[in-house]
Amino acid sequence: MIEPAVAVNNLTKIFPIPFRRTKLVAVRDLSLEVAPGQVYGLLGPNGSGKSTTLKIILGLVSPTAGRTKIFGRDSREVGSREAVGFLPENPYFYKYLTGAETLRFYGKLCGLGGRELKTRTAEMLQLVGLQDARDRRLGGYSKGMLQRIGLAQALIQEPKLVVLDEPTAGVDPAGSREIRDLILDLKGRGITVLLSSHLLAQVQEICDRVGILAHGILVREGKVQDLLSIENQTELILEDATPETLAQIAALLDKSQTRLIGQRHPQTTLERLFLEATARLPEKE
Amino acid sequence: MIRSALVLFFLALFGVLRLPIESRLSEQHRSAYFHQAQLELGLREQVGQLGFLAALSGFRSLVADVAFIQAHVAWERTEWGRVFLLFREATTLQPRSVMFWDMAAWHMAWNASVAAMNDSSQPNEYLRRKAQKEYFALGRDFLERGIKNNPDRPELYESLGRLYKDKLGDHAAAARCYERAAALPGAPEYDKRFAAYELSFAPGHEQEAYTALRQLYDLGEHERLPTLLSRLKYLEAALNIPLHERISPSEK
Amino acid sequence: MSRSGHRPFSLSRIGALSGNTFTELVRLKVFYFLLIFALLLIGNSLFMARLSFQQEFQVLKDVSLGAMSIFTSILAIVATAQLLPRDVEDRTIYTILAKPVPRYEYLIGKLGGVLLLLAFSVLAMTALFFAVLFLREHMLIAATMRETTGMRPEQIQEAVERLKASAFNAGLVPGIVIIFLKASLLAALTLFISTFATSNIFTVVVMVFIYFIGHLQSTAREYWLQEHGGGVLVKIFVAFVALIFPDLQLFNLVDDIVAGTAIPMALFAKTAVLGIVYTSVYLFFAWVSFHGKEL
Repeated sequence: MIEPAVAVNNLTKIFPIPFRRTKLVAVRDLSLEVAPGQVYGLLGPNGSGKSTTLKIILGLVSPTAGRTKIFGRDSREVGSREAVGFLPENPYFYKYLTGAETLRFYGKLCGLGGRELKTRTAEMLQLVGLQDARDRRLGGYSKGMLQRIGLAQALIQEPKLVVLDEPTAGVDPAGSREIRDLILDLKGRGITVLLSSHLLAQVQEICDRVGILAHGILVREGKVQDLLSIENQTELILEDATPETLAQIAALLDKSQTRLIGQRHPQTTLERLFLEATARLPEKE
Repeated sequence: MIRSALVLFFLALFGVLRLPIESRLSEQHRSAYFHQAQLELGLREQVGQLGFLAALSGFRSLVADVAFIQAHVAWERTEWGRVFLLFREATTLQPRSVMFWDMAAWHMAWNASVAAMNDSSQPNEYLRRKAQKEYFALGRDFLERGIKNNPDRPELYESLGRLYKDKLGDHAAAARCYERAAALPGAPEYDKRFAAYELSFAPGHEQEAYTALRQLYDLGEHERLPTLLSRLKYLEAALNIPLHERISPSEK
Repeated sequence: MSRSGHRPFSLSRIGALSGNTFTELVRLKVFYFLLIFALLLIGNSLFMARLSFQQEFQVLKDVSLGAMSIFTSILAIVATAQLLPRDVEDRTIYTILAKPVPRYEYLIGKLGGVLLLLAFSVLAMTALFFAVLFLREHMLIAATMRETTGMRPEQIQEAVERLKASAFNAGLVPGIVIIFLKASLLAALTLFISTFATSNIFTVVVMVFIYFIGHLQSTAREYWLQEHGGGVLVKIFVAFVALIFPDLQLFNLVDDIVAGTAIPMALFAKTAVLGIVYTSVYLFFAWVSFHGKEL
């Protein structure tokens, strides 16, 4: 049995509310697993417990009951985070540091140093496309740039698991596209990605598995394809079909139990249209 | 809730542990003459609000300096009452500054007293003299309290000796002061001499004075200053010292 | 590729955190205060001409050391109070603790940065202070030489010696070290308070309160130990003050040093060790409080 990248077992988290009798149940008896090399999406509306779950997995918050493990090590051990990179939601970093200095700082926290740190810093800046801004202070970065430097610091120590909390929230479509491409690139390298989002359409295409949280409870879990496919329907996409061919297909279907439900021109998405239209304009950062 | 109680408990435990150590250290500080200014309620009256606050926050001597400078200004304006109050504040806040006590006494016993004696607005001579004597007493009080706070410093004993000598005419008391000064480490070498001189001026102490002066004379050339020689000769005559024991008349 | 194994205590991690904290604090407007201090020193020295040299040196030293003491105390409290809240608010603390960084290293790193800042400030101020003292001493020696041209060489020597003794006394450097240790104690205590405080202002206000009470603590302690009269309530209150609050009076040595009291080395060493103990204990308490804090 291969050790799962992330294992959550019967996790419950209750926050006591000061000065009130009631308590807030953020996560209720949650269990899930993320296999190595997968892209896992933890989805759900605001306040569904996604962030809390991620924080518990990262050892920032302690569980009320149950446990979480990363590659077999309990989250409460500091060492479990050796091979983990984290990008929180809407991060700010130290404004007075430059891009390169920021990466060096985080690299040192991971135990990197010397020439290796230098190389990794340059590599990461290249990966997220911020080489030109490496000596500019973070105070002057745009939101998209901050997101990218955040990603760079999460990857600085070549982690085996990357956790992203709302990675595309508030980012424009072009930036969002880049981040999603980056995630797929990470997957291609065998890095496990655990992300949370409430922008469902955006993550639909990159996640292998999803778990949907509502009010702290896991209501749906499984492979994206399986969850989304409407079992008894099949989609055929035809190119250059003439009306005669279509009539033939319709006649063929009449003879069987298959029913033709709909026929229309597939649509591109608004996102693709936007990106194609704006690609011609030079990007300003 | 439990965590806060635990933290409070450990804080108290830490307090208990350091109690004896700090008490002892405080004691050692005091015996090295630190922190003579005790924080009592009486302090508040003597030093005013700012002074009290300064004492609380550990900036006593800074406020004492300010009071001292203000006293200086008040002196230039001959506002003797203010001079006294400000010096009281300065010395209360910073009792380890010998200079404050010294200057306070000087302003009272030498300056204020003269001003009182020559006060043209006071026609009654008796009252003028009375005021003068009161200022002498204030000066002496400053020096005595200064000595109490700084028993290891010769300067204040010297000043007190001078006060007895110049203002109160009590040479015996002056001699005692100079003797005490001479006994302290760091005292200048003339303190012994001055003690002997004063004794020689004090009626009834001629024998004692003679012994002291003779001892100093025997120490060598560096002690045979003109004043010493003249007082010695005076005493030799007064006591009818046998001729062969007297010092050579050629010495001047 | 992960590191060879997690080291539970890493000086390089702490070093990175300290250096980062120091950089953060230095780029605040903190150093403009140093400028004001410098101006205070020099300005003060200039208008002192009408006093005697003893008075001048005393005032110069009192002002400089007093300014150093108050500046480092304020800096320690204000700089430390905003460290944790700022990180939590900006969420940078998540990025740091999501790395294999134990919480105690985070705290040590933060305090380390503040201590670096304090040390740097103290050194700069001391350098300036000594420079001004040295300059004035030389100017006055030259003036003295001019005024005593008729006197015997021993007397001139004595006058010069007395002048020099007024300027530099041996206790100045130990006194400055104690000032630094008092500030580091305050910084550690501020860090501790900030781990459970609800806001920056709360921490600062509490620390100011502690600062004043801390100077009264020794009085409370004496009172409690000597069983003076007073009701049970007074006894409890006084006991509370004596046990919970630090004794800051022990670290106020400069007043007496300036007045010329010689400071025995043993006393200075004991006071210094006490300062280090206080700092370590408060840092430990900060860890206890921060250890289980929900972020």
